[in-house]
Amino acid sequence: MGLALTVAWVVAVLFVDRAHAQIAPQPACQNVMAPRTTVFFVNGITTTLDDARLNAGKLELEFLNRLSAMSPAVQANCHVFSLNYNPTGGEVNDFLEAAQQQLDITPTRFWSELEGQSLFTQELIRAALEGPMTDLNRIDASTIERHAVAYREQIASPSCRRVLIVPHSQGNLYTNAAYDLVFNQPPSPPPGAIKIVGVATPAQTVSGNGRYRTSTTDVLINAIRLIRPGTLPPNTNWGISPLLLSPTYSGGHSFIGYLSADPSRTHILSDIESSLTELAAVNPC
Amino acid sequence: MIVVVVGMIWLAVGLTSCNGDDSSDSPPPVAPETVAGIDANGDGVRDDIEVYIDATYPVSTEGDTNRALRQFARAAQVTMIDASEPAPSVAHAAERFRALECLMARRPGDFHVLFVELRARLLDTAGRSLAYLQADNHVRAGNVQLLPADQWVGTCL
Repeated sequence: MGLALTVAWVVAVLFVDRAHAQIAPQPACQNVMAPRTTVFFVNGITTTLDDARLNAGKLELEFLNRLSAMSPAVQANCHVFSLNYNPTGGEVNDFLEAAQQQLDITPTRFWSELEGQSLFTQELIRAALEGPMTDLNRIDASTIERHAVAYREQIASPSCRRVLIVPHSQGNLYTNAAYDLVFNQPPSPPPGAIKIVGVATPAQTVSGNGRYRTSTTDVLINAIRLIRPGTLPPNTNWGISPLLLSPTYSGGHSFIGYLSADPSRTHILSDIESSLTELAAVNPC
Repeated sequence: MIVVVVGMIWLAVGLTSCNGDDSSDSPPPVAPETVAGIDANGDGVRDDIEVYIDATYPVSTEGDTNRALRQFARAAQVTMIDASEPAPSVAHAAERFRALECLMARRPGDFHVLFVELRARLLDTAGRSLAYLQADNHVRAGNVQLLPADQWVGTCL
């Protein structure tokens, strides 16, 4: 009988995995009176709109997988996931043209290995990426303004939402600038109404004393640190993840990679939980 | 007389080399790939992409994945075709987002690997790659809403 139950359980688990049962809504979101927190993903360079959507989706999935083990203060909130897109089509276009014309890389290989080590270690490619990642004058002011407006709208009445921002790569530069814009222009929102958890950051600080995680095996950020030694030091890694051997993820910079490998995934989710717990104590409006 | 003979030989060689019958030396020129490519059955998915999806994710065993990938391929195809038009580009970005949400619902553990592989095949020429990027330039994230994870499965067509 016990064996039969065990077999049935295994079959059920396999079936559920195969059928991919619908993802359950967050319990707090069933309650219209529950406080809301908006979690923004801000993409970095070499990230198309589709990539950004999938990155935000991966963040939501990993968060939901851990939510039941998070603090009661976090579980009491309804978390709404959103995207503050940082258009990088121009850079991707330049990157593609350089890869084709000077390295004879086919479009198919380019799209397969966009964040792979074989492209990142090419001096030509790295040079094309490092400029926008290190030169603050090359980040787009209108994008920063648009992001700041989105954060203000979330915090202000009638939304009255706390804001957590999870930027990746160059998105960290945009997020720091947008954060400073929100708090340096009146009316300033309540202190602590916005928190940042940066991932793979080329920046030297995280605004608002936020948290960050950069991997020791991030080829791109390691290269940037050689140019700008003040870049925040690495404080996580991908362990012995096979992702580091795959053409797609071997650059160690992919946001999906950071949220697939451990301990980087656990570190980021812990930082998110800590930040959300702090946000829960803030009355946004 | 010698001049006449040389002239005739030159003319004969010249005419032979210009008669177009040089198939034994080189293949006929290949027409450049258009952005749209060939979609013989008119279902909105390029034929070579259809072959790839059906061979890798057969309907008989992986029907949900097959349909999710076709949904994205169809949305990406119209995205490239309409890349110069701002309004359709925004609408097609929303269609791609819904297709990607469907794919995440169907394959939560490995959706990104499937996406990367499919997109690399969809954007297999410079023209298609540039069209895809051009379409993105018309869109700002504020134009396209994200659906919460519990609604992703409902986006599958």
